[in-house]
Amino acid sequence: MATMPLARIIVPPPSRGLDMAAGYGWPQSTAVRAGDYVFVSGVVAIDPDSGERMNGTVTSEAHRVFRNLKLVLETAGSSLERLVQVHAMIYDRIEYDALNRVYRQYVPDRPPARTVWSVQIIDAFKVQLDAIAIV
Amino acid sequence: MPVAREIIAPQNDKLNVSRNLNLPHSPGIRAGDFIFLSGMLSVDPATGERSPGTVAHETRQTLSNMRHMLESAGSSLERVVKINVLLYDLLEFDNMNGVYRQFFPKDPPARTTCGVQLSAGMKVEIECIALAS
Repeated sequence: MATMPLARIIVPPPSRGLDMAAGYGWPQSTAVRAGDYVFVSGVVAIDPDSGERMNGTVTSEAHRVFRNLKLVLETAGSSLERLVQVHAMIYDRIEYDALNRVYRQYVPDRPPARTVWSVQIIDAFKVQLDAIAIV
Repeated sequence: MPVAREIIAPQNDKLNVSRNLNLPHSPGIRAGDFIFLSGMLSVDPATGERSPGTVAHETRQTLSNMRHMLESAGSSLERVVKINVLLYDLLEFDNMNGVYRQFFPKDPPARTTCGVQLSAGMKVEIECIALAS
């Protein structure tokens, strides 16, 4: 069955501080929409107004990251309630519970599919989330 | 009607790494409007051998192979919506970006980069989700 190719829509950064391409020179869009889905770039603890790095504890970074992710999703016409899959990256597995304590506050009900990876994150951040959501 | 699940393969057999190395994954899957590619490494398209080198070299070869894979399936780099870059050390983030931006000069895909240990001493691995057409 022949179907129309889907449009690939670049989601603009929700604020100046979250424009990682302009502020940090990273060659990536904040998010891309295609069909029913929005694909969100890895989100780290950046001040959404100033663009400053807000390095801190897993707890403080996770709060900031979720607030930023919420801004990005809402700019794309989605929301935290519409998340489908999340990759949650933390710098050390030992902080798994610390991540979860914050995590469950932002997706309290019917949370998305998730994988947690212990990885090295850019600029010594301790938390990074990326996501696929429906719009 | 459920959407079909089709296996994607590169036109150049040498780049069919999972088949050539007998690995339990497909090069990619097309499902509905989307293509999901397996993680790709720097592989020499002439020999099928891994082509380790600098982060710049591996990024260039990997994205060039990814372009071939997507075009074999009727898609293209311009249709990529999400990329995950796995880098052996984030100290090399800028070296990766320098080559990366040449492949995505305008409206680049959403992207996540993280530092992980890769198999066979490779420095760069890249996977993506793209629109099928």
